[in-house]
Amino acid sequence: MKRRKTGPSGVVEAPLDPGTQSRARESGLASVQDGRLRTYEPGDNTRRFLDLLGSRVSRPLAVSLTACVHCGLCAESCHYFLARPDDPTMTPVWKADQIRKIFKRHLDWTGRVAPWWVKAGSPRDDEDLNRLKNIVFGTCSACRRCTYNCPMGVDTGLLVRFTRGLLTELGIVPEGVFNVSRDQWETGNQMAVSEQDYLETLEWMRDDVRTELGDDSVEIPVDREGCDILYTINPREIKFDPRSIAQAAKIFHLAGASWTMPKWGWDQTNFGLFSGDDKLGAFVARNVYEAAERLRAKRIVISECGHGYRSTRWEGYTWAGFDQKLPTESVVVTLRRYIEEGRIAVDPSRNPDAVTFHDSCNIARSGDLVEEPRDVLRGVCADFREMYPNRCENFCCTGGGGLLSMAEYRPLRLEVAKIKADQLRATGAKLVCTMCHNCIDGLNDVIKHYKLPMRVVQVLELVSNALVLPGIKAK
Amino acid sequence: MPTIEVEGITVEVNEEGFLAHPEEWTEETAKLLAKAEEGLDELTAEHWAVVKFIRGYYLEKNLAPMVRKMCQATGFPLMKIYDLFPSGPAKGACKVAGLPKPDGCV
Repeated sequence: MKRRKTGPSGVVEAPLDPGTQSRARESGLASVQDGRLRTYEPGDNTRRFLDLLGSRVSRPLAVSLTACVHCGLCAESCHYFLARPDDPTMTPVWKADQIRKIFKRHLDWTGRVAPWWVKAGSPRDDEDLNRLKNIVFGTCSACRRCTYNCPMGVDTGLLVRFTRGLLTELGIVPEGVFNVSRDQWETGNQMAVSEQDYLETLEWMRDDVRTELGDDSVEIPVDREGCDILYTINPREIKFDPRSIAQAAKIFHLAGASWTMPKWGWDQTNFGLFSGDDKLGAFVARNVYEAAERLRAKRIVISECGHGYRSTRWEGYTWAGFDQKLPTESVVVTLRRYIEEGRIAVDPSRNPDAVTFHDSCNIARSGDLVEEPRDVLRGVCADFREMYPNRCENFCCTGGGGLLSMAEYRPLRLEVAKIKADQLRATGAKLVCTMCHNCIDGLNDVIKHYKLPMRVVQVLELVSNALVLPGIKAK
Repeated sequence: MPTIEVEGITVEVNEEGFLAHPEEWTEETAKLLAKAEEGLDELTAEHWAVVKFIRGYYLEKNLAPMVRKMCQATGFPLMKIYDLFPSGPAKGACKVAGLPKPDGCV
């Protein structure tokens, strides 16, 4: 085999910046004081790292740590490597090997017998741990495309999240991840939205829908007991983009749905998934589950959000040790049901532009929701076309895994987004639809950077456009 | 740190195009950011109404205002904010007003 020329490494050398961490400590935040939110302390961090590693390696992790045969198939599935083919540090296997070598050195017999043979190694100091941080946070969007394509079943996505979790425990995390985790611990939502601001925005959107429909019976009920649907959202919808709340409210109203939003436990997003902190994951997910229990809702519906869907629908029940008693679904599944049952009428000619669909990693590959959005889009768009590859083989928007909140890794993220840009461009579509708030910003960044003539939309927006309102004739 | 330069003036921004030193913001900087990041050649009175409100709110509370507050203060409907700033309230309006990048999924 011809050996590839090795280029410079794309790993960003971002220093550890505990600035906001020390401010969090000084201001006496409850989550820092009682140890839920870890901050960086100089000291014997490598020892603590190894202890944590030893205590946390589970059987599925051990399989992923030992089963890799270094075949290289993962490389061909990773957009980082496809965009930087001369850089071996961009391959999933190299990234996973950085934790694998520590595992081999300290926990696996092969590393004790023949460390040189299995390339076993140890982190020497905090600098090494910081470099590990830059690898697992900065060179991987945790999209799990490599996992999906691994013939040995190695879950590199799991290894990356596991390693992030060890570093989070030591406060060796990017500032953006720390800040969002802080807000979720402290306020129960990732953008520190106050209850008053939350309620006011809901009222505002309710009034907008009332005006739009000319119908004063439209409501956005809060904390109403015994409803069919408990609707939970991404705080971004409250803080910066409440259009999707109005669209959902309009559709629920027209479908005659019995629904409510909770006063507490409304944030379905979960930075525990990105930081690898299962305790945070449990706290945030439990808030949602307990809200549904408290209000005796029959179903939890999650607005369009990729990692929120995966966290609340799948992972959260395990993190929180919570028995799943209620069906938990994405709003896109709800929309499909309404269209199928004829509870809302839609006219695809209202969305005449060519639309393509971007499968979010956490929804398709990690969430098993693949055909449902397509069923909806075929019903509400005149020209729906696939992008290739698609479904579980789709490429990440490049902003996944929490990368949107880590500015230091953005130049690399946009460089490797070339793969996504080519894929988007080839569809010739004017609109790219995605059911994830994170993907909206990820795709917007790609579109802006590569100057693509496209706009990002969500399923709710397209369905809302296509609604045939009772008593109003189509244009 | 990357910089942006328009008509001979240079300012330092972070990797996302947000001002590196939010305290250094001036109206000139706003025009610069609007052109470089939002493609706006000119800031109208309506742009300024939004930008000045955001700036004042940030200086007072060290926090980006919610879009609700922007609309309340200016009297603009929600869609108007998107018309004025193509990248939206967070990555558009807050950026021009010289705020640091808001935390979270934005």
